[in-house]
Amino acid sequence: MRPVVKFFSSVKLAIALIILITLASILGTLIPQGRSAAEYAARYGSLAGLFTSLQLVRLYQSAWYLTLLLLFALNIAVCTAARVGAKWRRAFGPPAPADPQALAAMKVRSRFRLALPLAAARDRVAGPLRSSGYRLAEAAPSKNTTLLARKRRLGWFGSDVVHLGLLIILAGGLTSGLGGRRADLALLEGQTADVPRASFQVRLDKFETEFYPQGGVKAWKSTVTVVENGAPVLTRVVEVNHPLSYRGFSFYQTSYGSDWDAAKVELLVKKAADPSFSRAVSLKTGDRVALDDPDVSHVAVRRFVPDLVIGEGSKVQSRSREPNNPAALVEAWKGEERVFSGWVFAKYPDFGQGHGAAKSPVSFVLKGYAAASFSVLEAAKDPGANLIWLGCLFVTAGLFLAFYWPPREVRVVLEEAQGKVEVTASGQAPKGREAFEAEFNEIFDSVRRPA
Amino acid sequence: MTESTLFTLAFVLYAGALIVYFAGLFARREKWAGGGLGLAAIGFCGHTAALVLRTASSGHAPFTNMFESLSFLSWAVVLALIIFGRKTRVPQLAPYLMLIVVALVALASSPLMPKGAAPLVPALQSYWLWLHVSVTLLGEAFFAVAFVAGLLYLAADTEEKKARLDALAYRAVAVGFPLFTLGGLVFGMVWAYRAWGRYWAWDPKEVWSLITWFVFALYLHTRIVMGWKGKRSAIVAIVGFLAALFTYFGVNYLLAGLHSYA
Repeated sequence: MRPVVKFFSSVKLAIALIILITLASILGTLIPQGRSAAEYAARYGSLAGLFTSLQLVRLYQSAWYLTLLLLFALNIAVCTAARVGAKWRRAFGPPAPADPQALAAMKVRSRFRLALPLAAARDRVAGPLRSSGYRLAEAAPSKNTTLLARKRRLGWFGSDVVHLGLLIILAGGLTSGLGGRRADLALLEGQTADVPRASFQVRLDKFETEFYPQGGVKAWKSTVTVVENGAPVLTRVVEVNHPLSYRGFSFYQTSYGSDWDAAKVELLVKKAADPSFSRAVSLKTGDRVALDDPDVSHVAVRRFVPDLVIGEGSKVQSRSREPNNPAALVEAWKGEERVFSGWVFAKYPDFGQGHGAAKSPVSFVLKGYAAASFSVLEAAKDPGANLIWLGCLFVTAGLFLAFYWPPREVRVVLEEAQGKVEVTASGQAPKGREAFEAEFNEIFDSVRRPA
Repeated sequence: MTESTLFTLAFVLYAGALIVYFAGLFARREKWAGGGLGLAAIGFCGHTAALVLRTASSGHAPFTNMFESLSFLSWAVVLALIIFGRKTRVPQLAPYLMLIVVALVALASSPLMPKGAAPLVPALQSYWLWLHVSVTLLGEAFFAVAFVAGLLYLAADTEEKKARLDALAYRAVAVGFPLFTLGGLVFGMVWAYRAWGRYWAWDPKEVWSLITWFVFALYLHTRIVMGWKGKRSAIVAIVGFLAALFTYFGVNYLLAGLHSYA
């Protein structure tokens, strides 16, 4: 056990780990994380397999990176624990008798005689120290009297508080990683969805996008109602930067869109034999409607794509979710006979690429299209978050303690000699020595020459 | 006066301060540094007014794009110069720090930086914008002081100068590190949690601010626990500021991520 503790209590190990974690983290910003295997193959060629097996493509979640963090946590814990006892004794422990010669050799010091009896000399020294905020303790009686004056004693523990905060943050990260749950809920207006692993549901009442007068999105607003046991519990507007919190879950506005798969389409039916003929028909994607026309008995919209492009393998796909190139796959029948099947484009009405469209007795114009908008809410349960905030509080408080609350201590030895008292004082402060020296000199000036 | 006039005025005064500082340094007229500081301080007042006017007219914090954040960072470096420049007995600090300020303002003024105040995208509509960016950039301004002190240390010839520069770099880190931790990491995590639903997403900007934090943690530990001082400390401080600069600029232009505002 001892060698293990010794290994982990080394600051050199901490420095080695900080350097390793830093280098690994840099590597993770140079290799894009969490992309598809195809993307890595295209980007790195034969190296892609190596990168994947070394877990460089999910580096921050990899076993070896997490091991580094775990070693770092152990290192912090052992280092801090190994040093905190001595600090505690220094800050709060009883003082030991001091050697006046040693004090007189210190950098910040004062030595003089007071023509007073010992008890009066002690009071004379104690007064200005107390009024400067020092707490006094007296060493067990020995040949001389030793006083230890200390202030800002919590300042000794600044770095320990930071380290404790870091451990809490790492524990919070672990808790989030193991117990965190996230799910995207895509909701159409009026739709209700179960929240995974929760006993309640959420309903999207309304979704709207607000724009600035000069253009640009001002806000995405989802009006959301929490439904529990069939009854609405509360209604809130969820926006970016304004999540809804309920029973340990938070709901974030993460995305939005139009439900083009169920687009409502308005078509004009045209006949080759009768140029003046035009008939409007409205239908939903996936529907087949009867037209009651001698030449066209039924029409169906098989598919709607808002931004049609031809992808790999001549596959029709949508380049984006914006209606840049809307197209509908339309089919029409005359009784049992299919008389039309093809894509109809809103922006290119003459682009007849349907199956036999040129010969078809009917054609179509895509006159209108509309889709219900949906909002994507992320439902997140992050049990580590509160630990993170606690850790952040410790880290911040600890840093301010460490840098702006430097402890100070003054040792005074009183020696009786020929009816007088020889006073030897010295002081120590790990930080802010100039300010401390000024205070020290002021205190002992007033001990020597009281006002 | 309009915001852009005030900004230009500040630029001119900073450039004037730079010239006076360096003239004093090379002509060995220590008193000229007072003139440099005076010009810098007047420029700082004009710059402050420009930032206030911009906030008033745009209705949001003046650091939502590269121009604005550069302007604010240079303002913060002048503030650090006014705080640190007078107390420290290092005559080279102010001239070289002013060089950084003028470089930042010149970069902000370049035609490559769009200067318009665009309305805020939803993700930036939060009071955390104020807290996160201002405290982070303030911390980085003190890292700039440590950086200049580190470089001057490497160039210094006498032990006395070296000791002063070493102490100066440490004092600047002692101010900058808590600010950077609070603004960059803590406030950043709180805001990310509110806006994106996760306090840490290993986004390149997040990782690089952690790297910057690690470099300064290294500075403090090698120094306080292992007794490193002088040259090696100066190099760590220089690397730390370069990491901060990369977090600020490099990540935006070289690495893609969530944090694509400025």
